[in-house]
Amino acid sequence: MDGLIQQKVQRFEEFVDRRLKPDLVHAIAERDKVFERQEVFSNLRRNIENLEKNSVTSLQTMVNLGSEVYMQAEVPDTQRIFVDIGLGFHVEFTWSEALKYISIKEESLANQIQEYTRLIASIKAQIKIVCEGIRELLQLPAER
Amino acid sequence: MQEPVKGTVTPLASLFPPEEAQKASKRVQDALADRQSELDRLQGFIADNTALVNLVQRLPDELHHDIMVPFGKAAFFPGRLVHTNEFLVLLGEGYYAERTSKQTVEILDRRGKALESQVDSLKAMMKDLKAEVSFFDATAAEAVEGLVEIREDYVEESSSERVIERGPPKPDSPRFSGEDSMKVAAEDEEYARMMLRFDELEKEELAAGSGDEHDEDEHNEADVDHSLSQLSGDHVLGSLEERQVRKPLHHSKDEYATTEELLSKQHFEEDFANQLKSKIQLEGLKEQSVPKDSDDVSHGKSFANRATQSSSHGKDNIQALPTSKAETSVQSSKPATDSLKAFTGSIVEHTRNIQMNPREQAASSSQSSGSQPTKPVSRFKMQRR
Repeated sequence: MDGLIQQKVQRFEEFVDRRLKPDLVHAIAERDKVFERQEVFSNLRRNIENLEKNSVTSLQTMVNLGSEVYMQAEVPDTQRIFVDIGLGFHVEFTWSEALKYISIKEESLANQIQEYTRLIASIKAQIKIVCEGIRELLQLPAER
Repeated sequence: MQEPVKGTVTPLASLFPPEEAQKASKRVQDALADRQSELDRLQGFIADNTALVNLVQRLPDELHHDIMVPFGKAAFFPGRLVHTNEFLVLLGEGYYAERTSKQTVEILDRRGKALESQVDSLKAMMKDLKAEVSFFDATAAEAVEGLVEIREDYVEESSSERVIERGPPKPDSPRFSGEDSMKVAAEDEEYARMMLRFDELEKEELAAGSGDEHDEDEHNEADVDHSLSQLSGDHVLGSLEERQVRKPLHHSKDEYATTEELLSKQHFEEDFANQLKSKIQLEGLKEQSVPKDSDDVSHGKSFANRATQSSSHGKDNIQALPTSKAETSVQSSKPATDSLKAFTGSIVEHTRNIQMNPREQAASSSQSSGSQPTKPVSRFKMQRR
């Protein structure tokens, strides 16, 4: 009987350690990626709004060639902007179009974040349930 | 002779348990993997660097290049690179320097060299780690195999004894040489005693006033015979004891090869015993030619004396042996020969029968070296249990 319980406890623990915890780590990493993406787009939106406000038509910047070596670059026409829409595709937008796209994109990213948050919560709940199950199997007193 | 066990025998497994060694090996391997990823990273940097050098060299070829100018991380403007011979290079700590293409290439070359030296040091480190891994693996394997470490402090001794103690580990030669030198030592001692006895006898003879014309020859011959018979007497005595000791040992273990070996050895020793007997008879005859009966008796006594002496020698030696005898619980009180002593300090680690047998055969062909190695086997087995 004891051996059976031991076996079960071991199986539960393995499930937590091998399945649930890696899943949790993965989900959190994914959510962080989405957060990053969201920040990128919010920065872009702010920049475009700045350009609009200052009605910039041409622009001088420094381009990073890699290894922190920069070279001057100029943009003669700032009206058209190419925005990354994912999978390596860039779409040519005007400022207003870009802003519209960015707001939609931000919304979808927010949804994704919510989804991931829910997923993380459910994984955490599963871990908790399994731990409770182990506790019951071992007939330990409940915490608090 | 009476000194306690010389040196210590520690199984490697007790010093480095195999699991521990394997764990250590695992840890070092992890470190090695870290270094490997670091190396990959550095090599990526080097590749980037060389690509950048090419780019920087090529850029001033044109006055301007049409590019997509990045605007944040997710957007680009169509634009162009201008001032293609002006670079802003990060020197570190937030300081930038304006350089031309050539100067930039120089900076990048220096960076590349630094990277390469890092790679070299990393490779050296990895080599060390690899050696460590192989060492740990070997240690683990050896510990599993049951390798033992034999340590013995060097003690200044008389040359004859040292030969015995420090005899080379080969089973055939040391026994013989060790035994020989041991015998020489024993012989010297006994020779002196013998001469004393002879002097006594001579006096008696002179007192009796007979056999004066034979005396000199007689004694010379007797001397030679005595030393011979003593030599062989030692041997036979020892070997008899040896046989008594060994037989039960062999029964307790499954070493058929060595029992065979032993049999051949016994034959050999029986021959020896026969020789001895004939010699004794010869001696007896010669003694009988000396008219005094008392001489004969006393000679016999001295002979017996010697026998007991040599046997006591044997006992001494066995006490000097490692206590494994007692552990085997097989006639531990039985003395073994001097030759066993020769092996106490010089048993080579591997206790496999496979290794022992060929050696023994070689030994048996050369001399009656016999089943010495079986003893250490039992000993290590005991320790391992």
